Amino acid sequence: MTIASHTDTSPRRSPLALPGWSWNWLGVVPFALFALLFLILPTIQIVFGAFRTPEGDITLRNIAGLMEPNILHAAWVSIKLSLISALGGCIIGLGLAIAVIRGGLPSVLRDATMTFSGVASNFAGVPLAFAFIATLGRLGIVTLLLRDLLGINLSALGFNLISFTGLTLAYLYFQIPLMLLIIAPALDGLKREWREAAESLGAEGIEYWRRVALPVLWPSLLGTFALLFANAFGAVATAMALTGSSLSIIPIILFAQIRGDVLQDPHLGYAIAFGMIAITGIANLIYIILRSRAERWLK
Amino acid sequence: MAFLQLKSLIKSFGPVRVVQEFNLDVARGEFVSLLGPSGCGKTTVLRMVAGFESPTSGQIIIDGADVTGLRPSQRNVGLVFQSYALFPNLTVAGNIAFGLKVARKPSDEIATRVKDMLKLIGLPDLGERYPFELSGGQQQRVALARALAVRPRVLLLDEPLSALDAKIRVSLRDQIRDIQRELGITTIFVTHDQEEALSISDRVVVMNKGRADQIGTPHEIYNKPKTEFVANFVGTLNAFTAVVTHAAKGTIKVNDTAITVPHLREMQLTNGAQVKLGLRPEALHVGKQPAPATNLPATVEDVHFLGSVIRLRVRLGDEVMSIDTFNRSTEKPPVIGGKTTISLNPTDLILIQ
Amino acid sequence: MKQGTFWSWVVFIAGAIYFFLPLIATFEFSMRARRGVYSFDAYRSVLADPQFRDTLSYSVVLALLTIVLGLAIVTPTAFWVRLKLPRLRPYIEFITLLPLVIPPIVIVFGYIRLYNTASYLPLTGSLRGTDFLLMCGYATLSLPYMYRAVDTGLRSIDLVTMTEAAQSLGASWTTIILRLVLPNVLVAILSGAFLTFAIVIGEYVLAALLNRPAFGPYMVWMGGNRAYEPAALAVIAFAITWACMGLIQLLTRFQKHTSKKR
Ligand SMILES: Nc1ncnc2c1ncn2[C@@H]1O[C@H](COP(=O)(O)OP(=O)(O)OP(=O)(O)O)[C@@H](O)[C@H]1O
Ligand SMILES: [Mg+2]
Repeated sequence: MTIASHTDTSPRRSPLALPGWSWNWLGVVPFALFALLFLILPTIQIVFGAFRTPEGDITLRNIAGLMEPNILHAAWVSIKLSLISALGGCIIGLGLAIAVIRGGLPSVLRDATMTFSGVASNFAGVPLAFAFIATLGRLGIVTLLLRDLLGINLSALGFNLISFTGLTLAYLYFQIPLMLLIIAPALDGLKREWREAAESLGAEGIEYWRRVALPVLWPSLLGTFALLFANAFGAVATAMALTGSSLSIIPIILFAQIRGDVLQDPHLGYAIAFGMIAITGIANLIYIILRSRAERWLK
Repeated sequence: MAFLQLKSLIKSFGPVRVVQEFNLDVARGEFVSLLGPSGCGKTTVLRMVAGFESPTSGQIIIDGADVTGLRPSQRNVGLVFQSYALFPNLTVAGNIAFGLKVARKPSDEIATRVKDMLKLIGLPDLGERYPFELSGGQQQRVALARALAVRPRVLLLDEPLSALDAKIRVSLRDQIRDIQRELGITTIFVTHDQEEALSISDRVVVMNKGRADQIGTPHEIYNKPKTEFVANFVGTLNAFTAVVTHAAKGTIKVNDTAITVPHLREMQLTNGAQVKLGLRPEALHVGKQPAPATNLPATVEDVHFLGSVIRLRVRLGDEVMSIDTFNRSTEKPPVIGGKTTISLNPTDLILIQ
Repeated sequence: MKQGTFWSWVVFIAGAIYFFLPLIATFEFSMRARRGVYSFDAYRSVLADPQFRDTLSYSVVLALLTIVLGLAIVTPTAFWVRLKLPRLRPYIEFITLLPLVIPPIVIVFGYIRLYNTASYLPLTGSLRGTDFLLMCGYATLSLPYMYRAVDTGLRSIDLVTMTEAAQSLGASWTTIILRLVLPNVLVAILSGAFLTFAIVIGEYVLAALLNRPAFGPYMVWMGGNRAYEPAALAVIAFAITWACMGLIQLLTRFQKHTSKKR
């Protein structure tokens, strides 16, 4: 009955399908206006600015300006940082999610983990940096305990919180929970019958994961990876509070540019910002392509 | 000796016993249905055979070997679920080949087997489709092929037809039976649909609250139900009580009408005892019949037109009974409130318990 | 199975250590302000700092305004799109997801360039204008979460049928929205609101680049100038985040409860 009523009234519900004019679109004007003013136009401004001189002429000089060694190096560090923290977040997050959801642990732990993930995934930025300084910094509790109890001197071992490794470690703190939050519903979507069908056909454990579970999760994993990548790539606050500006990553360089700490051509800032959009854009493009290939079997 | 033996299976979840003292012997190539209401433990029995639940006590023996402690992957048992449970990331061919690939069979062997299986289930051209591109009935056939491709020793089906609509349900159940016969595979089929169970099984197990109430051929189950539960669950039954008036002759009295039931003589009843009797709707006739039939006056209370059959509800004194009569286009159907005579053959009376 | 459970425990405990150590460490560190003994000196000094109060209240007010703005934009849109313009949904969804792809620092850079004093809309020319811009920036950042929360809430009710039923009973649009839609998506809306609150309170980049005295820049400034107070601030920030998430949890649980009863 519901189906019938659906089909016979649907033309009225989707007025765009009708040749006649309708005022319905007016309802989304406020949203469209807001998105235009505060999301789309600013982005377009950046993109156009990256290809113009201060006088307004079209140029590729700004983009060419990106080819400086310090910017290229920072970009490379940024990409590496984002890739590694996204990959780590995905793998560790998936592992944790499997352990908590499918591992036979009490369900209380699952709820607690999911709630905590909600908090931790938003516990980014400045406070996170402070927390890691208090943990692994020069006077951090772990540093001191290792030194006093086990005689292990972290800095002598080459560990420095204010470094690539330290930053990766800190980023994982919000990357892993974010992964957990996104992948948990996908894990729930794995039907028990799939596992049982696989087992009765001789595939258990790793074999089941390799042949069924991972392929089924693959689109979600890819999507989360792209999201985590962008998440890390654009993050400024944690790095800033943790390393000052001693570790040069792209967002920190842009930050300095905007602040005017570095007195240079303002249009280089445009170019850097454009580069950032390009990289997260490319990451998402790769994701979309991979996903559409993986998704032939999806509805 | 039976090919598949379930010996005194008991399964408890915490304090609750969901399967109690379950014994079943299935011969090689036999098709046995587990029939029972929702929650009676059918799935649990099946899952114990498949190895997904371990029995609290008891033994499962396949082909002489005790498999009770084996993992599902070691049992070589094929499984078909109500929800099809095809792997969505694999094509139809990929699904069918799954078990063979896991077993690392040579690829040419896999290819031939997949082709054979597709032909067997009547979908020779759909190998490259993905599960979401198939109808429910097609998906279930693929699921069957997937389970059969590895040549399992036992095939287990858990309500495989419940998610399908009526027409397909009937045609697919016949198809399943044909394939089962062709391969001669020992099969357990779980259903809560009695018509389904009766129509395709060699034997039916009627389950009630975790027990096997009766195990027998469809004919026995329907015509000689051992318990009231079986009698009621399988088919429609008119039940009534009667008083034994002459045990040696087998005479009883229902509503002041004396009926002599020959097969009650052997039952060693005592005079004056109350007995519970049942009668299938199709055992009652509208209209008079000569002896030894008993004729009774009745009033028609309700008429249900079911197509080939007309089901009447008639009142006989205090009892209301269902009667099935064939629908004949030349005869006028009875009218509600009309007086009539119905007749029954005493040999059709079923003694319950 | 048993072995699997064992490894699950191993993974879980390793994760728990990684996630709890920094929290414990931060707390411990924040208590170390006085030599030799644990004390709450760092908290005392933070709470006594007028800057702390000013920046935090600035951020709280801004967060609340952001929530109002976000809801005002998102709720009617999500509602309208579900009801009348289902064809537009993919596009709207795409736009709301953009802030996850375009880094915030890029967006704010665009603001600075687009709304500078020489532009048609010189928002950065005045303090109020900058505040407004900051608020819009935050609303943009929270757009993905807000929209998803509200849209999920709307999906759980059969909007079209419900609206038609209400209209056939003679209900006006105001009644429909206030009495029918709002109560049903309230939990979703509040979840989005709390999430927005948690995001805005600690945000650094937008506030710093627009030069507004928010809590985030204050924390960074403290980080550069003090030893133990930053840890105390981190604990406070964590507590705020935790409170927001806790409230979301509570709400959803409450809703599950009531909807089950129905
Ligand atoms: N894992 C479990 N834990 C606790 N109780 C269970 C579990 N699995 C099944 N049960 C209980 O065991 C009983 C039998 O369940 P089972 O699934 O075998 O019934 P069924 O006959 O297959 O019913 P249906 O026709 O509804 O599928 C039910 O009361 C069910 O609640
Ligand atoms: Mg069942």
